[in-house]
Amino acid sequence: MIESVRTLVVRFLALFRRRQLEGDLDAELRSHLEMAVERNLAQGLDREQACRQALLDFGGVEQTRQIYRERLGLPFLDTLLQDLRFALRMLRKSPGFTSVALLTLALGIGANTAIFSAINAVLLRPLPFPNAHRLVFVWATDSQRGITEDVSSYPNFEDWKAQSKTLDRLAAFTTRSATLSNGEEAELVPAVQGTPGIFELLGVSPELGRTFREEESEPGSSHVLILSDAFWKQRFAGRTDVIGQTLRVNEEAYTIVGVMPSGFRISRERPEQVYAPLARDPDRGHGFLMVLGRLRPSVSIRQAQTEMSTIARRVEEAYPNGNRGVGVHIVPLVDAMAGDVKTGMMIFLGVVSLVLLIACTNVANLMLARGASRMKEIAVRAALGAERQRILRQLLTETTVLALAGGAAGLLASNWISRALVESLKQFDVPRLADTHTDAAVLVFTFAVSLFTGIFFGAVFAFSVGSPKLAEALHQSGHQAAGGARGRRLRSGLVVAETAMALVLLASAGVLLKSILVMRRTAPGFYTENRLAIEFWLPPKRFSSDSRRIQFFKLALARAEAVHGVHAAALIADLPLGGGSDSLSFHIAGKPDPAPGKPFQSLFNVASSGYFATMGIPIHAGREFSDHDSADTTPAVIINEAARRRFWPGEIPLGKQISLGANLLTVVGVVGDTRQTSLGVPPRPEIFLNYMQSSPEWSWLVMVARSEGDPAAISAALKSAAQQVDPNVPVTRILPLDDVLALSLAQPQLWAALLAVFASLAVILAAVGLYGVVAYLVAQRTHEMGIRMALGATRIDVFSLVVGQGLGLTFGGTLVGIPCALGAARLLVHLVPSVRAGDPLTLTGVSALLLSIAFAASYIPARRATRVDPIVALRYE
Amino acid sequence: MPPRAEVLQGTLDLLVLKTLETMGPMHGFGIAQRIQQVSEDVLRLNQGTLYPALLRLEQRGWISSRWGISENNRNAKFYSLTRTGRRQLRDEAAGWNQMAAVINRVLKASS
Repeated sequence: MIESVRTLVVRFLALFRRRQLEGDLDAELRSHLEMAVERNLAQGLDREQACRQALLDFGGVEQTRQIYRERLGLPFLDTLLQDLRFALRMLRKSPGFTSVALLTLALGIGANTAIFSAINAVLLRPLPFPNAHRLVFVWATDSQRGITEDVSSYPNFEDWKAQSKTLDRLAAFTTRSATLSNGEEAELVPAVQGTPGIFELLGVSPELGRTFREEESEPGSSHVLILSDAFWKQRFAGRTDVIGQTLRVNEEAYTIVGVMPSGFRISRERPEQVYAPLARDPDRGHGFLMVLGRLRPSVSIRQAQTEMSTIARRVEEAYPNGNRGVGVHIVPLVDAMAGDVKTGMMIFLGVVSLVLLIACTNVANLMLARGASRMKEIAVRAALGAERQRILRQLLTETTVLALAGGAAGLLASNWISRALVESLKQFDVPRLADTHTDAAVLVFTFAVSLFTGIFFGAVFAFSVGSPKLAEALHQSGHQAAGGARGRRLRSGLVVAETAMALVLLASAGVLLKSILVMRRTAPGFYTENRLAIEFWLPPKRFSSDSRRIQFFKLALARAEAVHGVHAAALIADLPLGGGSDSLSFHIAGKPDPAPGKPFQSLFNVASSGYFATMGIPIHAGREFSDHDSADTTPAVIINEAARRRFWPGEIPLGKQISLGANLLTVVGVVGDTRQTSLGVPPRPEIFLNYMQSSPEWSWLVMVARSEGDPAAISAALKSAAQQVDPNVPVTRILPLDDVLALSLAQPQLWAALLAVFASLAVILAAVGLYGVVAYLVAQRTHEMGIRMALGATRIDVFSLVVGQGLGLTFGGTLVGIPCALGAARLLVHLVPSVRAGDPLTLTGVSALLLSIAFAASYIPARRATRVDPIVALRYE
Repeated sequence: MPPRAEVLQGTLDLLVLKTLETMGPMHGFGIAQRIQQVSEDVLRLNQGTLYPALLRLEQRGWISSRWGISENNRNAKFYSLTRTGRRQLRDEAAGWNQMAAVINRVLKASS
């Protein structure tokens, strides 16, 4: 054993000093023969006989050398090294081809590596919890509303927890915002309220102190708090005596009992700063919990899903009131954490693999065009006795070397690409995306992709070269050697495929851009110029009574309007384009409900007087809220156009009454529609309540102000004006409405931009590929062109012949690509919901674009073809 | 004169090792000479096959080599037995003797 290892090592090392060792052997053999001759001479033979006898005794110097050489190194590695050296020499010999191929491959592989490293960081790398693969997210589902990822109620969570045998533990949490105050200024921080076992479920112990005790979630028990590592370091400078100190959260004193280690995070939105125990909420209809579970050993997700579905059905039967249609949907925690981004990333992985395929096709095509000259070389080698297998191996080595070099360059490129990607996705707070870096998995991926690439286009090349017909290849001139029907068909096929793939990407980018253009043209329904929004959070404990809230609103508005440069100020609960609005049920006086037990549904919002004027939203009928509406006057509501059309079609809604909960409200005005969720989503019915009357306890509150000029100038003054009213109300965000509008377009725009970048890359590659093929065909047909022109063909005839060929291939690609593009567009709905798949205008547009690029790519070779001098061409050969 | 026999496959190693043990460091030509001499020219050794065998033995670490000057003032590569080579020779010789004895016994029993 040791010996064979030793032999292997010695033989391997010998590879690197071959020349010396072989020289050694030659010297040794020479000295052997000389000694033999000397001895023979001494035995009385004459010189000639002595030499003959010595060689005879020796028996085949050349064979000995051959056997010795085979024994000296490792024959397999030896050929490989030889092939490598040869490949490098071939690549060096044509630097133009090599650099184009390298660049193409580097871009193709680099794009793949970049997207993969992001996917690796977000989806593949295990979450920082022990046995993270056994952690699951337990969503509620609502078959009545068609929701598959819904929050759950506390009683449902308790029932699941008590009955499940497949899930080892269950814990629930909800994300909140907590107001921390030190008496002077209030700060709003993201918080997680969790059931006491949540840290144990995740398997993470605190860095300092302890986790929650079971009894600490019961109402009336003392308030305890656990800090995140980041918050501890920022607020308490990492001091260990923090345990036992108190912090005022939402106006109440909390005792700090622990600190979680750095990197610990439960919320998938913003990283939470503090943790508090979650109190039981007995309302089965109130969904607000996210539920985590840990699979028992050797239980699969499917088994857990089956069991939990049964449990959910049992719970539904026991409590049909509030639980109708509620099921369970279990997904791996890592997928739940990634959320929507997962689909986007998968789509982009598809996009970049198309780009890589195009790159591969291109390089294969380049090699084929070069194959003409290579063909002769290969034929010569075959004539000298090289086996077919050996030649194939040589070709594959060459393409693999090229691809691996391309992969190495791609790895460098991917660093830049993924940094740009992470930077542009930063605003969307994707969990763990910032950890994107090159690790072993990324290296393995890149290596595998490069290897696959090399073998792929190597195989394509080898296939087209086929078995060289010796005599033919040697007879023919270099130009024609690879021009067999097989090679030509293959090259044309490759161009068609390339064009089709480029069309798919281009069309996808096209429909995305189109939907963004539509959104941009869409009027949001309000003015954004010179307007500023300031978001507040009203701590519910402090503002639980109507009078306190109204008092705060009045004072805040008065102070805001007193700020120099402010024209008007008003309050609104949910800003348009903010994404979040609450849908509530209500009844209309004198109208039956749409179905028994199913009241009307509408978005509800709360506004102060002057809101519509401040925002520039037109009043279509009636009036807007005024200072005369107060807690003592008739409760008034204002509806938007969509609500009028839905609830009072063909009627005059003014004076009509609706009942919301116990309140009877009278419609006093109709206003224009605004886009509530995003520009791509049509306006929905919305009913506005009045802040100055008894209103629900909305905790979020936005003040909008219209200013003289640049709204940024008044933001600081407005903020301090509000905080003078009550220092315990934290300001969470200040931003101009122009930015609100821009923000609502940010994500679709980013996707479209990314797709456009990759699509342009694909088109450029495809154009280069087409150019290569047409140019090659022209070079090959010089002779034929000469004959045609000699027989009277005009330059225009020749020109259109060549261009026609390029356009024909592209047209073929377009025909193949259009159905694929239609299919692909269906996937894009996951990126931007308002995308319309079958948009004929876009498809025609991108096809025309591709054809004109094809024309440009064929133009140069066609011009060259028209300049052929018939005499020269005929003499050619 | 008895008919000349080819060197049996696998026995060349043994012959080389034994020669080096008896004679000390030797060059290839010397080894070939010596084997033929000792076998009283019964063995017909293709001298060329000696060199791949020497390489194999060296790769296994049983012999080592270095360049030196031969008795008649020529550059020649001298081979010598290593410690492991000596042990290997002992094992192989024992194995050979045992095998030869067995074959002898079988031949005698059947005659």
